[in-house]
Amino acid sequence: MFQVKDVTYRYPKNREDTIKGITFDIRQGEIFGLLGPSGVGKSTTQKIMVKLLSGYQGEIYYRGKELKGYDKEYYQEIGVGFEVPVHFSKLTAEENINFFRKLYRNQANTDAMMKRLGIFDARNKKVDQFSKGMKIRLNFVRAVLNNPAVLFLDEPTIGLDPSNARILKTMIKEYRDYGGTVLLSTHLMNDVDELCDRVAFMVDGQIAEIDTPQNLKLKHGEKKVEVEYNEHDAGDRPSKRASFELETINRNEEFFKLMRTKKIITMHSKETTLDDIFIKITGVEKHA
Amino acid sequence: MPNFLVLLLGEIKRLQRYNIMTASVVVALLWIGVLYLTEIPDITFIFPMLIYVDSTSMAILLVGVTIFFEKQEGSLHTLLVTPINKKDYLLNKSVVTVATSIVTLVILYLYAAIFKEIDMSFTGLLGAVILVSLFHSLVGFLLTYRSRDFTALLINMMKYMFIFMIPTLLEYIRIIQHDLVEMILYLAPTKAAIILLYAAAGETELWEIIYALTYLGVGSIVLFMVVLKKFEQFAVQESGV
Ligand SMILES: Nc1ncnc2c1ncn2[C@@H]1O[C@H](COP(=O)(O)OP(=O)(O)OP(=O)(O)O)[C@@H](O)[C@H]1O
Ligand SMILES: [Mg+2]
Repeated sequence: MFQVKDVTYRYPKNREDTIKGITFDIRQGEIFGLLGPSGVGKSTTQKIMVKLLSGYQGEIYYRGKELKGYDKEYYQEIGVGFEVPVHFSKLTAEENINFFRKLYRNQANTDAMMKRLGIFDARNKKVDQFSKGMKIRLNFVRAVLNNPAVLFLDEPTIGLDPSNARILKTMIKEYRDYGGTVLLSTHLMNDVDELCDRVAFMVDGQIAEIDTPQNLKLKHGEKKVEVEYNEHDAGDRPSKRASFELETINRNEEFFKLMRTKKIITMHSKETTLDDIFIKITGVEKHA
Repeated sequence: MPNFLVLLLGEIKRLQRYNIMTASVVVALLWIGVLYLTEIPDITFIFPMLIYVDSTSMAILLVGVTIFFEKQEGSLHTLLVTPINKKDYLLNKSVVTVATSIVTLVILYLYAAIFKEIDMSFTGLLGAVILVSLFHSLVGFLLTYRSRDFTALLINMMKYMFIFMIPTLLEYIRIIQHDLVEMILYLAPTKAAIILLYAAAGETELWEIIYALTYLGVGSIVLFMVVLKKFEQFAVQESGV
């Protein structure tokens, strides 16, 4: 769907490139995650790909044709969800949606989506009377009101309560299952685990690693058992901790000795989470 | 519905909702107040002056206010990722601005015709207002591009008033009388504006009318091209969060 080749970008007033040569591709029908610490250039990358920022170096192909060759027709095919509020605040939700909907040839059933996201009953309220979470949900409806082929989402679940976040994530997955392609930027690893088919980790304006979440876990992951223990006669002295490789634990004498001689307080098996991988990839590379 | 029309209806609705419509009616009432307080029954002299102030400064303000509202609430971002042409977007604001100026003209003219004496051609005034307001809506874009926020826009508009609007007016009503100043003022768009408005009284020389029409007509086309070209840069600036 997209091929991004060696793209660099510098904001007009800056001295340094914000994007320092990124290469990746997004396949049709996948949710592609763009991850990385705050300020690394995720939103900038998205803005380049939705043609808000021009003047990048390198090449971006959409359906085999350079992005610069597309005019406003491009926007008939894509949907963009920003991380900031983006509505006419003195119009109602319904008026906002209706206004934007009329600009497109394809028009989705927005009522159904608003109902699902629980903002249908508030559709005649002015948007400036909406709560933060309601605005975010409205943002999503606005982003998909033209049944886009590609959906760009910038931190779509930040500021949502868990149940609304769940509904939204289900809707994103359904969108993908019907053939839609998604570029999702986020630093919430939960979202990545649940949604993304592939992820790219951005570090310092570059891409450090691209893979599926499963492969990343296999590659960087290790399984451990963490034990919190204390001496039997410890009284109220603080407890101690030890950590053992799960793979070799059945041959680990030290572990058995601990089990026999100490008072075990808690014991957990622990898998490397994407959080750990995030910190490992983004942290290590940064200081390298 | 073509996008231009969708935009136009949306723009008009927002003028109502954001109370900009109300504000411009209040300003029109203010002008009526001025006319009311004028003791002379024949207001042919003062009428174009009010229209002059309205269709220049209000045009600049209207464009600036709507863009800054859109910038502040972020709706400008959204507009930028829809299939709207920037040409449509910009023209729309100009059209709405011109329409607002026309409404003010109609209100004032009706009042003048009913309660006072006025000896001016309405069609002449209408034509002049369209051109003057169009030109100044475009000036409004340029000033908005160069302003960080609404306060900065107000300051830029003040500058425009002190450099162009006020000297032109003072010279036209002969408070300033100086040949060199008069010559120089032919370079100011406001000179063309005031000539065209007073031309509706039927006593302006032909060459002056031709000068004013050419200045504002050609000027509007050139300004529009500049406004169109610089919009991209302005948009990039705006997309910084
Ligand atoms: N309009 C702008 N002009 C100049 N620099 C900018 C502009 N917008 C962003 N930047 C800079 O570019 C860098 C990347 O910003 P960007 O918004 O892409 O980060 P991000 O990865 O989306 O971060 P976050 O997770 O906080 O949203 C930052 O250092 C930021 O200061
Ligand atoms: Mg961001």
